[in-house]
Amino acid sequence: MNWTGLKLQFKAIRHDKLCILTFLLPIIVGLAINLLGDMDFSSAAEPSFGIVKDDLSEETIAWLYENGTVAVYKDTEALRAAIIDPSTQTVGVMSDGTEIQVFRSGDEMQMYAVIADVLPQLYTQRNAATEYRQVLIPSESGNDFLKTLLVVITMVTAMFMGCTFNAMNILSEKEDGIVYINEILPMSRTQYIKQKIAIGFLGGILSTIITAFVCIRLSAIQILPTILLISLSAFIASLTGLLIARFAGGLMVGIAYIKIVMIMFLAPPIFFYLIIPSGSILYTISYVLPSSATFYGLMGILEGNADLGTEIAALIIHSILWLSLYVITTKHIYNQA
Amino acid sequence: MCGSFFALLKKDFRLMVSSKFFLLAIGSLILYTCYINFVYVKLDQEIFPVYLYDPEQTQDNVPDSLIPVSSLKELQNACEDGYSIGIDLSDGTAKIMMTSCGISKIDNLRHSYAVSKLSSGSAKEALIIGTNTKDMKSRREITAEFLFFELSAVGFLGLAAMLFKEKQMGVIRVHAILPVGKSAFTLSKLILILFADLFFSAILTLCNLGAAASMAVLPAVLLQAGILSLIMASFGFFCAITLPDFKQFSLLYLVLAVFITTPVFLAGQTGIVMDWIKFHPMYHLFTAMKNAYFQTPTTNVLYYAICLLSIVLLFLLARHGLNSEMKREG
Repeated sequence: MNWTGLKLQFKAIRHDKLCILTFLLPIIVGLAINLLGDMDFSSAAEPSFGIVKDDLSEETIAWLYENGTVAVYKDTEALRAAIIDPSTQTVGVMSDGTEIQVFRSGDEMQMYAVIADVLPQLYTQRNAATEYRQVLIPSESGNDFLKTLLVVITMVTAMFMGCTFNAMNILSEKEDGIVYINEILPMSRTQYIKQKIAIGFLGGILSTIITAFVCIRLSAIQILPTILLISLSAFIASLTGLLIARFAGGLMVGIAYIKIVMIMFLAPPIFFYLIIPSGSILYTISYVLPSSATFYGLMGILEGNADLGTEIAALIIHSILWLSLYVITTKHIYNQA
Repeated sequence: MCGSFFALLKKDFRLMVSSKFFLLAIGSLILYTCYINFVYVKLDQEIFPVYLYDPEQTQDNVPDSLIPVSSLKELQNACEDGYSIGIDLSDGTAKIMMTSCGISKIDNLRHSYAVSKLSSGSAKEALIIGTNTKDMKSRREITAEFLFFELSAVGFLGLAAMLFKEKQMGVIRVHAILPVGKSAFTLSKLILILFADLFFSAILTLCNLGAAASMAVLPAVLLQAGILSLIMASFGFFCAITLPDFKQFSLLYLVLAVFITTPVFLAGQTGIVMDWIKFHPMYHLFTAMKNAYFQTPTTNVLYYAICLLSIVLLFLLARHGLNSEMKREG
């Protein structure tokens, strides 16, 4: 390993304030999320019932509160607007003699549509339901699901900083013509990759690990798998940065690639995690994206798991695949030179 | 004057073509359209599956929605995910079995829902009062989001990329001595970006909403797209002219994309109430865009007044930035 080269790289970024700021940013966001800690996010996952003031009996309202969140509107017009509002899944409930009448907008997810449809029946059977014996197995996960999600998104973004940094670093060298100088310097390809990956990689890891310690209370047994997971993911992210730099002609194209990769990295795992039950074939297929493994792993850690075998194995396979992809695609350039 | 302005437009257009601006726009268009049509509209949250273990066949007419299992072990495994519910009828009395999902209200609901499956009471269904189907709602929603994300990026980045290229080539220095107005230099870029954005918005809407629905929403959507495009492009111009190099600029963009647009999406998408979001300028732009797609255009005069004011202000700032840059370059 050529330490002088690495030292020079560090020297270059020391003056780049915005760059340092980018690596610090996830940590700051992590701190902010931690401060928000007491905020109750669970209400976002509960079904929400909209009612009109002075319409339902006390008992009915109490029953609705047991099953979800309740929002009170001043008249039917306001309730109607809330039901139709596309960003919420509010179900309207109004009295209908001894029963209730339910309104929905018709564009809900299947779950909310079914709940709205059976709600009158659940209401009439509310007393019978309590007579059934229930075996409730407590789950290990807490109920601050959305906070967990925010923490994981922040951490995945932190890892992604390495990708952006590397891509931008190489692309600007490309534009300045330093790449050509590098080619005649007595530096091997392996050395080049090592040096270029190092900073984005270390920056990504450091920023993510600090964010992790700020946001998560890790038990001793979890520390090693967590660090392994973060390191592997940061490695893949910085490798992606190299690949982007390899294929992009200029900075503008590079930024556009980064944008696309960022969407592909962040959005699908969240959707897969929320929508697809773990264990299904689609869930297994989703491991094709390296960020899915990272995402599931981090979610697992936050939920108290220490067993990250599958995720780490998937990430190791990804690292090997992406590294060989990079080596294969850059081979001919070096052969020419 | 008019002739030189057209020459400027032509030059900027060539610059956009050479920086593969249009190619990238088409690429994003295809990517978004594929994602919306093949993935997003198919996403759905299924109702809790209910498993039934009934070895003695005590239930006469089992509803189709109940999934039968053949052993207690299988039932327990099925209920482990914190979502499914199991009904155990093996020892005469019905037992509802489930793993807590962590939210007691949802657990209550799951319990009642499972019980309702055992009785034959016919439910009086909910009345549907909206006009959108789930499919159409998803399309409108995600198209609004992608357009918002894309427009806030394209104007900002596209302009910056052009400007940095010109900075490198020394065009700004040359401009200082040319008899072309400084506003014209900024305006020609803004106009090109605006037209590109409007064109992109129209195509994205047509591809994902279908012709009939698009015609109904397009006037309102194009208005919002124009506002967003002008604001982001002049802001991009200002940032690009003040920051020294594109690398710094791109990191600033990343910060902007992730930490400024994410809260807006969270608020718009999940309906989580965040009081401070009202002070987030992008939130209002996003809401206006979404409303346009859902055919309830924003009519608040104050909103349009503020938009107009910020466009003028940002434009003046951009011009001022350009002036000081020219002075610096001598």
